[in-house]
Amino acid sequence: MKWLKKSAYLLLVAGLGVLYLTTVDHWKIYAGPIQRLKQYYEQAVYGTQTFPGPFLSQGEPEWDAGMGEGEKNVPDGSAEGGAGLTGSEETKGMSPSKGDPGQAGKEGEEAFSQPVYTTVEDDYFADAVFIGDSRTVGMYEYGGLEEISTFYASTGLTVYKLFDSPIVEVPGQRQKLTVEEALAQNSFHKIYLMVGINEMGTGTVESFAETYKEVVDHLLELQPEAILYIQGILKVTTERSQQGDYITNQGIEERNQAIAQMADNRRVFYLDANPEICDDTGGMDPSYTFDGVHLKAQYIELWKNFLKTHAVLGGEEMEAGIL
Amino acid sequence: MIFSSIEFLLCFLPAFLLLYALTPARLKNLTLLVGSLVFYALGEPAYLALLGGSVAVNFLLCRFCLREPAQGNALAWNRGVLAAALAGNLAVLAAFKYGVQENGLPLGISFYTFQILAYWIDVYRGEEKKETSLLRFAAYIVMFPQLISGPILLYGEVRRQLHRRRFGLTGLNEGLKVFTMGLASKVLLADRIGLLWQEVQVTGFESISTPLAWMGAVAYSLKIYFDFYGYSLMAIGLGKMIGFELPENFQEPYMAGSVRDFYRRWHMTLGRFFRRYVYIPLGGSRKGELRTVANLLAVWVLTSLWHGTTANFLIWGLFLCVLIILERQVKALGISRLFRHGFLRVVPHLYLWAVIPLTWVCFAVSDVSQLHLYLGRMFGVTEGIQVNPMDWRKALETYWYLFGMGFIACTPVVRKLFGKWKGRAAGIVFLAVLFWVCVWRLQVEGQNPFLYFDF
Repeated sequence: MKWLKKSAYLLLVAGLGVLYLTTVDHWKIYAGPIQRLKQYYEQAVYGTQTFPGPFLSQGEPEWDAGMGEGEKNVPDGSAEGGAGLTGSEETKGMSPSKGDPGQAGKEGEEAFSQPVYTTVEDDYFADAVFIGDSRTVGMYEYGGLEEISTFYASTGLTVYKLFDSPIVEVPGQRQKLTVEEALAQNSFHKIYLMVGINEMGTGTVESFAETYKEVVDHLLELQPEAILYIQGILKVTTERSQQGDYITNQGIEERNQAIAQMADNRRVFYLDANPEICDDTGGMDPSYTFDGVHLKAQYIELWKNFLKTHAVLGGEEMEAGIL
Repeated sequence: MIFSSIEFLLCFLPAFLLLYALTPARLKNLTLLVGSLVFYALGEPAYLALLGGSVAVNFLLCRFCLREPAQGNALAWNRGVLAAALAGNLAVLAAFKYGVQENGLPLGISFYTFQILAYWIDVYRGEEKKETSLLRFAAYIVMFPQLISGPILLYGEVRRQLHRRRFGLTGLNEGLKVFTMGLASKVLLADRIGLLWQEVQVTGFESISTPLAWMGAVAYSLKIYFDFYGYSLMAIGLGKMIGFELPENFQEPYMAGSVRDFYRRWHMTLGRFFRRYVYIPLGGSRKGELRTVANLLAVWVLTSLWHGTTANFLIWGLFLCVLIILERQVKALGISRLFRHGFLRVVPHLYLWAVIPLTWVCFAVSDVSQLHLYLGRMFGVTEGIQVNPMDWRKALETYWYLFGMGFIACTPVVRKLFGKWKGRAAGIVFLAVLFWVCVWRLQVEGQNPFLYFDF
């Protein structure tokens, strides 16, 4: 009995470990090494090039689902991204050109194909709301607009949970509002949206674009008087892109292409600030960033100036007269 | 491979312990050696041969070239052999530190080289007998608990344990408890509070407010402590689990009242190395004030070079050296006696807490112009660009509890609580939960929380 007392901690850690691995991890941690061991075994027993064998064909899908998701799916999606878009276009059929790359050309060509961009001052953003992830948080903290515009931005925000995230603080209230609630209670004339980098580890370009389209439609519905700027995801540095995880500039480009097609240039405009911040290699200029992903505070200005030189005048600005 | 990784915690360690337990006592060194080489190869296969070669060559040279003192001419001969050995080892270290830098430094080379040097000098001085078994010598140098980041062992500390050590349930359990504390220090404190330092860098030093610059410096000071202290605790815990008693590396350094005192409590095995093999042989403090100052300077220049090759490390080391020299003068003048009683006792601590974060900034920022900028922001003398003057409030809202936990963990409180509760049921349950919370955090964030941070 004495040994039991002596090894109480070891036993407890082991016991909790079994509990943890069963409930939280589902023993996935050992799936990889076991799979590899099996492969070695197969190779040793059957030689290198023989049939896959019963072990492999059973084990593989499980292992894939657990670990390889992001990497595997990105190339798939790029091929089918366009198809996904046209499919979901049916849901809101009122505007013929909206979100359909095929039709946008024909009908809206003369009036809307090339938006007229104007250069504006900061007060243009007074009736604007910025929605986005940590990059938009950077714009809030260092763009000099925190007093002028509204920001519904939070680190880690994704297109998938965009409306349900309780991220909007209300003065004097402890409970934060969701973006959905906040948009229902307030009205804006401009919406600036930039999300997409956090989503890269999950789903495909296709599923991302599909959800993005739903978000665009729902934003227009919630804010009937607003124009919507959908912003291309800012790229990362080439070095960061080659780091070997799910964040790559190629993936960003694929997503941006999908987003760009949702612009109708009437209410929805696609803005891509990447040329302002990228170098010859096609990634974010390394001198503008420390982590390869976020612009340093002093270079947020480049992005902001791009927005200021790419403003579409809405009804109220038109009425106020062109100065 | 690092200790705070899923691969180590859930794969390598259980597998190694099982094998080690099944190995008969006289073969345990072999299991330890092979296990350690596997451990090293999993992280750095390219330099395994360098490590192996270094160990073998040093063992053979020492074993067969150093003569017994009784032999004629032994003294001069041995001095020559020692000089050649030291030069050779240091040349390899320097070549990697200053030469082929692009490929990065071979893992642990700074630590195992120093351990080899310590062995040479101790044997030369006659303080230790030559090790006669390559297996034991190799186990001393490469045992995985201390291979990558110390503590830097003296051969004499582990000689007996290399011959015979106790391996049993008590050691396993007590060692795992210490290991858990170290793991928690690294995963739950260092990695978390390090995020503030990361944020400051992401924002860019030119755009942080002065309060945030200080908070960033304090956050880095806590991060580097809990990182390294945690690592040392894990090493000691692992040592205990397999039957070794490894030396303490930290003794609540932030509770010190002077920089001198701080560096007697910080990375103690490195300080001991320089004291034993540089400072005291040079005469220490026994040859007058001027010589003492020169000796301190020598130690701190070497300490800087050991830590890194960029200029900021030299700034860091010289800064500390100047502070230590000044403290000696203040003490000699008797001024420090004023602060021994009453509420004035806090003055030395306030001084330390103001000055140590400053030195850590010099350590952390390797680009000198960036360092200049950061220090300028700390004292509000460099003009900022796009500064958000309220940025520190957001940082405080996010990190206050980590600062709080960090400050508490700098005091002896945690160590005392650990000592008191580690044997009781509640304490054991708490530690076991803590262990798996750490594993869970590691799985959620990946090994590097900065890498897999949400954007």
